Amino acid sequence: MANGSIAAPGLSFPRDTFAKLTPGPFLHAHLKQPEPVRPSGRAPEEGRNPTINTGSLTHSNGSAVVRVGDTAIVCGVRAEILLASDVPRPPSDNAKEADLIEQLGLLVPNVELSTGCSPAYLPGNPPGTHAQSLSYRVNSLLNESNLIPLKDLTIEYDEPAAEEAVLDEGPTTVVKAYWALYIDILCIALDGNAFDAAWLAVLAALQSTTLSKAWWDADREAILCSPLAADAHKVRLTSLPLASTFAVFSTASPLKQRHQGESWVIADPDGFEEDVCKETLTVVVTPKRKGHGGILRLEKRGGSIIGKDLMRRCVSMAEDRWSVLEAALRGG
Amino acid sequence: MQADRRRLNPPAGGTAAPIFATPPTNTSKDKGQTTKLTRPTRTRNPDEHRKLFLRTGVVPSASGSAYYEIPPQQEQQDGSLVPARSSLKITCTVHGPRPLPRNAQFSPNLLLSTHVKYAPFATRNRRGYVRDSSERDIGVHLETALRGVIIGERWPKSGVEVVITVLEGEDDAWWGNTERQEAGWGMMGVLAGCITVASAALVDAGIDCVDLVTGGVAAVVDHPSGGGKNDSAAARGRRLVLDPCPAEHDEISAACVVGYLQGRDELTECWVKGDGGMQVEQLIDEAVKASSLSRTVLVEAIKESVEVKTGAEVEAPNGEPKGGKGKKRDVEMTG
Repeated sequence: MANGSIAAPGLSFPRDTFAKLTPGPFLHAHLKQPEPVRPSGRAPEEGRNPTINTGSLTHSNGSAVVRVGDTAIVCGVRAEILLASDVPRPPSDNAKEADLIEQLGLLVPNVELSTGCSPAYLPGNPPGTHAQSLSYRVNSLLNESNLIPLKDLTIEYDEPAAEEAVLDEGPTTVVKAYWALYIDILCIALDGNAFDAAWLAVLAALQSTTLSKAWWDADREAILCSPLAADAHKVRLTSLPLASTFAVFSTASPLKQRHQGESWVIADPDGFEEDVCKETLTVVVTPKRKGHGGILRLEKRGGSIIGKDLMRRCVSMAEDRWSVLEAALRGG
Repeated sequence: MQADRRRLNPPAGGTAAPIFATPPTNTSKDKGQTTKLTRPTRTRNPDEHRKLFLRTGVVPSASGSAYYEIPPQQEQQDGSLVPARSSLKITCTVHGPRPLPRNAQFSPNLLLSTHVKYAPFATRNRRGYVRDSSERDIGVHLETALRGVIIGERWPKSGVEVVITVLEGEDDAWWGNTERQEAGWGMMGVLAGCITVASAALVDAGIDCVDLVTGGVAAVVDHPSGGGKNDSAAARGRRLVLDPCPAEHDEISAACVVGYLQGRDELTECWVKGDGGMQVEQLIDEAVKASSLSRTVLVEAIKESVEVKTGAEVEAPNGEPKGGKGKKRDVEMTG
């Protein structure tokens, strides 16, 4: 095994052995130095740099490969057609446009972890709790951010006026079908913080998604699409919410006094740190407008160490991280 | 059918893949006429393999891993959204050898299990999330190919898992050919790629093998231009090609995949499908030739990864850890 253990003199174990035997104290020893450094060599508040490639899959409308450290995610967006006449319970006319995508279920994200990405998730089983929760988090974030305008996903048809109708009444426009986007997120390699990487991959893939021009063919009673790339349109994203995750490592325990415990906030935790830390916080921020950005979502679980002040600090770190991720998205 | 409650399901109405209209021609001469679709043609020689890309060590958390790709040879030129042909992208991870669970029966050998799954976006028609019969089929063939090379006696009471995700698979036939859509010729090419990539991942995991196994595929293709349907096979222009891309041929009548050990001149896996007629032996020979060609790539990829590994080890003891960003460094642990 190549772990650099050849020249370990004396009775000392190599680093990897310590990390396996006592993960908690190992991380603590790193963080309590005067200049805290994480086992990966990063500073506590330093994230991993993402690299993004888009459009590498042949058979999808949009795709992206995102690497954040040792976590690699492939996302493919595939568009299929849902006929409006097939919708079993058509939404009422006065339903808000923002809710329609969710009501019709036009965005179908699914996270697949059982691709052999890590020994903990072996294939052949239905998705486990982690994969399910990731899928639902991506789905709810997609729906509540109203990322894609419904207009981009509808296929309309100008119905010629019926003969008995009044002549000066122009053709009416009806929605004949919708594009349903299947967003499949495959985790190829997993080393912590799957949500941030998955969400980044979804955004990058959606940004590169093109939908072909489609129309209702009244003679064939079917939707036809133009195969020409020149006719196709890109999916426009209304905003660019980006996620940053933080984990809290704490030495507090029920056996100690409250003030004795020390805690550190670490940004973008990797797989090893995720196992040790209980409390995590995910902040999804939207781009800054007029000086201040919006917070789309705060997800925090597992403890009560992050208070008001730390939360403020995390949000501002997430805003800094937003520009890093956004630059990667633009470059990709 | 009951909905899968562990995944997010498609809209209740059910969706259909888009149907593309044939684009009208732009030339003034025959305006209004629809264009004729042209099938991509094979531009390389019959005994020429497509370019391969192979890399090991792509998944750090697994004991061994590899990525295999046949990159698209030429870019899409006609401005069409429908891709003319498919390329091949496969990732493989190996987990193990690791002890079998306590309740498992005693096994004197290493237990090998293979798992092949296509990604939902891998092929022209969307795939399901649950493995279907063709994926199981490839898995079984892959297992026979690998079982012959692993020295299983060295790991009693342990198991190893080979997990393959096909990110992009080969087409079964040219998509514009509406008459022949059956017969999974695409999976033959995928299996050959799976054997090669799994072999690379096994080496990366450090599992003892008797030799490097590589996959190769060859096919007998028909060229109807040679004459009518009633002519003999030779007159119809039957040809042997190595590493066929099903989209480039009008009709494939037989194909063969082998798992070949070049060092020992042995086959661990041989799968012939279709009517090879008198040419079956030649067909197998061609497949062997294809697998020796992909072996050169495999050897190069392994050499490269070994150089990276040993280079890192040589550097570690004498190179002073710089302690900068991204460098791992030792810390004092007390209490």
